[in-house]
Amino acid sequence: MGMNVRAAGISRRFGRTEVLADVNLSVGTGVFGLLGPNGAGKTTLLRTLATAIEPSAGSLRLLGFDPSDPGERRALRRSLGYLPQSLGYYPNFTVFEFVEYFALLKEMPKGEVGPAVARAIDRVGLGGRAKSKMKTLSGGMIRRVGIAQAIVNEPTLLLLDEPTAGLDPEQRVSFRALVRDLGEKGTVVVSTHLVEDVGAACTEVALMDAGAIVFRGTPEELTRRGEGQTVGDSPLERGYVSVLSGTRT
Amino acid sequence: MRHRPDDARHVAGCDDCQARASLGHTGLDVDLERVWTGVAAEAWATPVAWPERAMGRLLGSPGLARALVTTPSLFLSWILASVAVLAAGVLLAPLSGDPWAALLAPALAGAGIAYAYGPGADPAFELSRTMATSGRMVLLVRALCVFGLNAALGLVASLFSATAVGLTLGWLVPMTTVSALALAAATLSRSANVGVFVALSSWGFVVTTVFARTRDLAVAVESWALMPFYLVATVGLVALTLYVTTGNRGKDLTWG
Repeated sequence: MGMNVRAAGISRRFGRTEVLADVNLSVGTGVFGLLGPNGAGKTTLLRTLATAIEPSAGSLRLLGFDPSDPGERRALRRSLGYLPQSLGYYPNFTVFEFVEYFALLKEMPKGEVGPAVARAIDRVGLGGRAKSKMKTLSGGMIRRVGIAQAIVNEPTLLLLDEPTAGLDPEQRVSFRALVRDLGEKGTVVVSTHLVEDVGAACTEVALMDAGAIVFRGTPEELTRRGEGQTVGDSPLERGYVSVLSGTRT
Repeated sequence: MRHRPDDARHVAGCDDCQARASLGHTGLDVDLERVWTGVAAEAWATPVAWPERAMGRLLGSPGLARALVTTPSLFLSWILASVAVLAAGVLLAPLSGDPWAALLAPALAGAGIAYAYGPGADPAFELSRTMATSGRMVLLVRALCVFGLNAALGLVASLFSATAVGLTLGWLVPMTTVSALALAAATLSRSANVGVFVALSSWGFVVTTVFARTRDLAVAVESWALMPFYLVATVGLVALTLYVTTGNRGKDLTWG
């Protein structure tokens, strides 16, 4: 199986703080979940994979491209989709204009932009609000616009940071179906606090703590790690707690 | 999944299209999803105006053209503030005899350019940094737009002043220099506030120094003797900005 993400010994420091510590990760096609407590390094890892920040050390190959090379980075970014944890937006843009703007910055062929934007907006269920200004949308709708801009170019590598934050249960179910669909053709990396998202949508999961990956396996394997554990409301949550407490002792 | 029965390469890898072809359906079948997205795109899109089309051809990038033409909508408060300050300058000029609009225009342009792009200034900065069209190019077209707007506002202000030609020629050059300084300082420090501080304090220093020597505020924007200094400084600052934002310089910063 081809690996769309190959990270070897990735570290990232902000000043004296090491946020990522020697992360090794290879991810192929499918939906890959990143779990972990606040400050574990999930967002920093995702930002690094999205080429928003550069690793302080280590080597990275994404979709076969070396992001430290400007030419390769540009080619990579055409096939990349990214939803940041905190999505900033232009309040006076309409939903269509916002998604279209990022489709253009992704250098999609001009003739494909309009239909691709319409399709992405429809896939996140915002067809009825396509001409609404961003400033008139609810938090959940803005999150869905963020997902639309991330998938507009049908990315081979899709990186979603807390994508279900602000979505209601019905929207979460639709979102998981969308992610499963996208994961059939490419690599989707989803960072989340919600273990139920991982159980429902992910084919594989990694658990991060203190900047390092402390567990990697299938959701079923994580569930098995929780057998005998009493803390946690679901089998997957018990696995999560069990791995974290095992790492910290 | 989108079906393309008229594309032989697609059909070879698509079970659905092969099944449709085996049932006698031809490439003339209507792909309803494709039709719908085309119709929806036309209904939902805002028509592209001719300036954007022209800029797209000129810049060779529809994305940069969109970044350029949407810049004013991102800086509406700055534009309104610029109009107000320049109008005040025009009204003050006859009272004091000093070219206030010309003295204020470079400061306004410097502030606008420092806030044209970057964390804190651009709400979608994090996302923009992961796009194929580089952040450096977006920064430069935004700076160009802010500069152009300020130049246009200054020209209008100069039309209402007594010495229109002198003012027009005078403030455009130092305005370019202050803008280039704001751009370089904001880019190097990664802080719009630092860019504004450096630009405004430097321009204030030039104006007060010249005034202290000549007792005439207009000299800072009208003296031809200062023009070579402004031009050399502008070229140097633009070169510095391009240098620090090219390739992988500034390993500790970010990918461009």
